[in-house]
Amino acid sequence: MLATRVFSLVGKRAISTSVCVRAHESVVKSEDFSLPAYMDRRDHPLPEVAHVKHLSASQKALKEKEKASWSSLSMDEKVESLCFLLHKCGFGEKWLNVAEEGAADLCACKWLSSLPPVYRIKFKESFAEMNRGSNEWKTVVGGAMFFIGFTALVIMWQKHYVYGPLPQSFDKEWVAKQTKRMLDMKVNPIQGLASKWDYEKNEWKK
Amino acid sequence: MAHATQVGLQDATSPIMEELITFHDHALMIIFLICFLVLYALFLTLTTKLTNTNISDAQEMETVWTILPAIILVLIALPSLRILYMTDEVNDPSLTIKSIGHQWYWTYEYTDYGGLIFNSYMLPPLFLEPGDLRLLDVDNRVVLPIETPIRMMITSQDVLHSWAVPTLGLKTDAIPGRLNQTTFTATRPGVYYGQCSEICGANHSFMPIVLELIPLKIFEMGPVFTL
Repeated sequence: MLATRVFSLVGKRAISTSVCVRAHESVVKSEDFSLPAYMDRRDHPLPEVAHVKHLSASQKALKEKEKASWSSLSMDEKVESLCFLLHKCGFGEKWLNVAEEGAADLCACKWLSSLPPVYRIKFKESFAEMNRGSNEWKTVVGGAMFFIGFTALVIMWQKHYVYGPLPQSFDKEWVAKQTKRMLDMKVNPIQGLASKWDYEKNEWKK
Repeated sequence: MAHATQVGLQDATSPIMEELITFHDHALMIIFLICFLVLYALFLTLTTKLTNTNISDAQEMETVWTILPAIILVLIALPSLRILYMTDEVNDPSLTIKSIGHQWYWTYEYTDYGGLIFNSYMLPPLFLEPGDLRLLDVDNRVVLPIETPIRMMITSQDVLHSWAVPTLGLKTDAIPGRLNQTTFTATRPGVYYGQCSEICGANHSFMPIVLELIPLKIFEMGPVFTL
């Protein structure tokens, strides 16, 4: 099951192995790569083929109704059939101003599951669906933090069990004497260490 | 010498090093500008919602982003070459010191006015007094006068070494069978440290160079030449 879902990620754009196919709806079939294929891509808004190739009876009836004059469609059907096309092409919001009042509700960009069957014949996912975010980033960040934390544990173990003691010159008294000597030598007196020491008051400059 | 967490250049002790610091600031500023521009472009590329895969033929932009880098490179090259030629100026050194690299110590020869030859070994950790600089202090320092042009002749007796003193802007390879020359003039007295800068074996990190720059009057009194 998990393998199927993993392979479904692989097969999202190009339908290849039967494993990918099994992960999707049964309307999808294995295809030759040289034939036009359906794809849900933001930069390819109108794919060469429709999503559903073999229409069921009710779907065929719907298509017949669409062929007739659109004035015979109910308000809902009219809105659905035109709106889905414009919405798919990204004109949903602009078209809102021109529509009748009843259209405003349906054309709002919160359709998702409420998209009509006519739409679903032509397209598998709406733009909103294909562009949806996911919670993957939480897994990635969490995993990275986990491994960083594990590395910290490894380093702590190394410090305790592997490394020898620090040299004498890291002792506080040694460092103090060393710093005093460096100040006496006027090490980097222009912008460095000695420039930060006040030689008159014998203290660090404020 | 550098303090513990120093990443920048040490303060200059010679005029050439002062020039190098200024050049470094200039080049670094250009690098920061380019990096910032590239990072910004990358950020825009990663966060754009636009999708156009058919962009081609942007002749004006291509011209701009060819000419502009060429100009930037010229702006870097001119100061760089200026400093390069400055280092080769004839300055008639008053003193010549020979520095010979060995595994793993330096030998210095003052043969202009006498015959002083000595070895300079790093002080081993057990020989250090509290306050000494570990890995930097040596038993015999190279004592030199300030405000006099000095010529260093550098070579090696065995493998490649490199004689470097960052605060003077010096780094010259010590190559067996070859004499390399470098000159410098120190502007202020003090003790200046450097480390061997060419991998030369097990103790490559443990053969430092220490220069003790003293006023000319004191140098002339001859403390260096007493053996």
